[in-house]
Amino acid sequence: MAVVEAPESPAAAERLDRLEQIWRSRPGLLGWLTTTDHKRVGLLYLWTTLAFFAAGGAESLLIRTQLAQPNSHVVSPSTFDELFSMHGITMIFFFIIPMTTGAFGNYLLPLMIGARDMAFPRMNALSYWIFLASGIFLYTSLGLGMAPNAGWFDYVPLASRAFDPGRNVDFYCLGIIFNSIASTLTAAQFIVTIFKSRAPGMSLNRLPLFCYAQLAAAFGLLFALPPLSADTIFLFLDRNVGTHFFDVALGGKSLLWQHLFWIFGHPEVYILIVPAFGIATSIIPAFTQRKLVAFPLVGIAELLVVFIGFGVWAHHMFATGLPTISLVFFAAATAMVVIPSTIQVFAWCMSFVTGTPQFKTPLLFIAGFIFMFVTGGLTGIMFMAIPFDQQVTDTYFVIAHFHYIIFGAAVFPIFGGLYYWFPKVTGKLYLERPGQLSFWIVFVGTNLLFFPMHIVGLLGMPRRQYTYPDGLGWTSYNLAETIGGFLTAAGILLLLGNLVYSYRKGADAGSDPWHGPTLEWATTSPPPEYNFPVVPKVTSAYANWDRDDREEDRRRLAEGLFVLEQGHEQVEVSAVDARLSDVVPMPHESPWPPLLAASLALVFSMLLLRKFGVAGVMAVLCVLTLVGWHSREPAEQ
Amino acid sequence: MSDHILAGRPAAGRPAAWWAMAMLIASEATLFGSFVGTYYYLRFTTRVWPPDGLPKPALAVPLVLVACLTATSVPMQLASRAARAGRLGATRLFLVVALFVQSGYFAFESNDFGEQIKHRFDITRNAYSSIYYVLLGADHAHVFVGLLFDLWLLWKLARGLTRYRVNAVQAIAWYWQAVIVLTLVVTGTLLSARA
Amino acid sequence: MTRQRLELLQWVGLLLGAGVFAAQLVVGFGITLAECGDGGNRFGIGNDLWQGVLAGAAAALVAGAEAAAVTVFLRTRRTTYEAPPPDGRIRFLAIAAMAANAVFLVIVLLSGLASILGVTCRPG
Repeated sequence: MAVVEAPESPAAAERLDRLEQIWRSRPGLLGWLTTTDHKRVGLLYLWTTLAFFAAGGAESLLIRTQLAQPNSHVVSPSTFDELFSMHGITMIFFFIIPMTTGAFGNYLLPLMIGARDMAFPRMNALSYWIFLASGIFLYTSLGLGMAPNAGWFDYVPLASRAFDPGRNVDFYCLGIIFNSIASTLTAAQFIVTIFKSRAPGMSLNRLPLFCYAQLAAAFGLLFALPPLSADTIFLFLDRNVGTHFFDVALGGKSLLWQHLFWIFGHPEVYILIVPAFGIATSIIPAFTQRKLVAFPLVGIAELLVVFIGFGVWAHHMFATGLPTISLVFFAAATAMVVIPSTIQVFAWCMSFVTGTPQFKTPLLFIAGFIFMFVTGGLTGIMFMAIPFDQQVTDTYFVIAHFHYIIFGAAVFPIFGGLYYWFPKVTGKLYLERPGQLSFWIVFVGTNLLFFPMHIVGLLGMPRRQYTYPDGLGWTSYNLAETIGGFLTAAGILLLLGNLVYSYRKGADAGSDPWHGPTLEWATTSPPPEYNFPVVPKVTSAYANWDRDDREEDRRRLAEGLFVLEQGHEQVEVSAVDARLSDVVPMPHESPWPPLLAASLALVFSMLLLRKFGVAGVMAVLCVLTLVGWHSREPAEQ
Repeated sequence: MSDHILAGRPAAGRPAAWWAMAMLIASEATLFGSFVGTYYYLRFTTRVWPPDGLPKPALAVPLVLVACLTATSVPMQLASRAARAGRLGATRLFLVVALFVQSGYFAFESNDFGEQIKHRFDITRNAYSSIYYVLLGADHAHVFVGLLFDLWLLWKLARGLTRYRVNAVQAIAWYWQAVIVLTLVVTGTLLSARA
Repeated sequence: MTRQRLELLQWVGLLLGAGVFAAQLVVGFGITLAECGDGGNRFGIGNDLWQGVLAGAAAALVAGAEAAAVTVFLRTRRTTYEAPPPDGRIRFLAIAAMAANAVFLVIVLLSGLASILGVTCRPG
């Protein structure tokens, strides 16, 4: 039972009251608009990303409807271009990344490391508001009929002014840069928080694997987003100012776009799946009731897969005519990048085999994830062979591969995680039977949707074509895929319906329904605003299983040790061994994050309209907002 | 504040503000790495460099200016030390000295930037001119942001030293060290066209 | 061995291999770009020689990092990776480094060898 639920003495209860008063959220809508509480920011991210997931899903169902039959005219070719471009952009930048980092990462990271909040709570809120603003910015393009239409990877010369003269690609360039500011801030936040805000005693060998996964994704984002920004800056300048980065006639190079894009793009796909690995490594110990096999190897594998992932980018360019001696560097790294993933798969499977698995809904989704990830990984390693890659480039085989990976290795754990942490966030239990049913429908649906794509790809069906002729043997596979798509959607609706219903009518969960391994299960469901009444004592990576330490927490509260009730404060530790080093004041609610996000939105809107002078004025507004932000120091609040 | 839990030990390690600045520096360094990589990619795939008979970059003026900027690394570092030691007057003095030289650098460089565009070649000439001005312009933009940081810091320090402001001095000094290194790299890259 | 020396070896083991892999990839790829691009080969040294020296040096450094990691692992055999810091943390990061450097070594050797054995500048 969490300390907060049953204080042992009147003194302890008094301390809890005081903490509650100090950390109480501002009520009402204004409280949500100005929040800096990582849990509230995480929930804002959750709802917003689910809305974008629905949009991306709708786009995919329209694509599948168009492709269900040959010679179809459900949508026009230009609309189809916008659909598959927006589907990719939405799912990657506005669903998976913000869901796994912004929603799961934000809500859980401080709880798992025993902190009261992130290192920079106002910057955390800023990440959310910028993310929201960038999503609105991009979707405005859809409303105006000017959505990006050159694919999510937006290759030149197709995306150059000569071939795509409208504002579609300008929306893309600016929307991507705008969104990347949010993700960069999140990345910086997570890295500093993980190193500096852990509970004392949580040295690097005691850091939960979920946190290693978020750390890996954060490093990935920090170093992968700048090349994309450079690329889109170059493209925007080429299109609007008249530079010649990609203009072959005047010394530019089309391949420059591809190099910079994939230097971002390949790490990006690891960033997509690594936090989901972290979700898996949280769920497996809970439902097998054993520590994860090979803990140090899994921890380094999370970091290694992202790091090596920075060195494989040109495997997306095997069909561009680059010399073989250039390509071999990337083929070699691609061959070996599978090793860290294999280490993890082995560790997960061994944990199943050597533990006592309880196949409740979260673990079912993880089992499904392992199956889908291995399948997708096998086709991925086939691409390492340059001749094979050149045969299947730009066919549906590639689409099959990456959807098995992304849907399997990112979305399945997200669904599992939604079920797993639902009791912690809401205090209620979800319904188990409908949960398991939702898993099976989604599992069958996604395999029906994506498996035939391997076959139809090998039969030669190219990507990004709005229709296809009859008589090529592709029709029945496409129809099956469309049915699979709608089946998957039905499964997802059942999943969401289960959670909504359970939120209203579910049974009480208590603080720890799963006997979970990490610290979020050591506090109430939902957690109080201050997360923990005392700085938790940590002596292992599975802190909630250390009953002695949790008893010590009760003693600390009773005796008033490490309660930190003199103000809105939390501890800071040394980076490697988490030795206590400081006590720092934390901010309360603040209006500056949404204000700064709004100012930035104005800058990007003016850039889109090519009013560069006005954009400059708006930038001054941003600077003034930043000055306002720093006008009152946290200790003065 | 519950400082008593530190049991009299002084705060150890670098402040979170320094770490945040390290993150910003890492991100910006990678951005510039992309620009520099682009420069060399275009160079390795172009027969003559600079192409189209464009003039090679000047040597003397950039080197002198960059040397002046590099020298401000010293007062910035001294300001950081003075702030940590609680010496407000010394901190302000070192910052003002650094700001004076940095502003001078920026003024000369901006003027030179404008002159180059007007009289030598402008950004829309070809791929070389595109990457040349983006590299140079991005570097100057970061110097400009550094000037804004300095001004803000001096404004804050007008009301005395608090722990927040000491952390800010350290973070901004760190920013300037990074911008100086960046400027050296950018200058070296652009001047390599003379080779 | 002193604690400081052990700690230094641990960090070298963890970080050197990673840095060398990254450097060999970027520089090796850059060499092929210079060799095969229009900008041409400026020093008259062939791709194969560049790549051989680069891969050889890189492999030696990664092997050194691996040796450092193994040394730390052996010196900490009386503790476990779950032990309190710094000993437990040092062993933990040494285990991590041993696995990572093995992977880096294979990549360095594979890519260097393939770049030498491939026909220079033939399009892929």
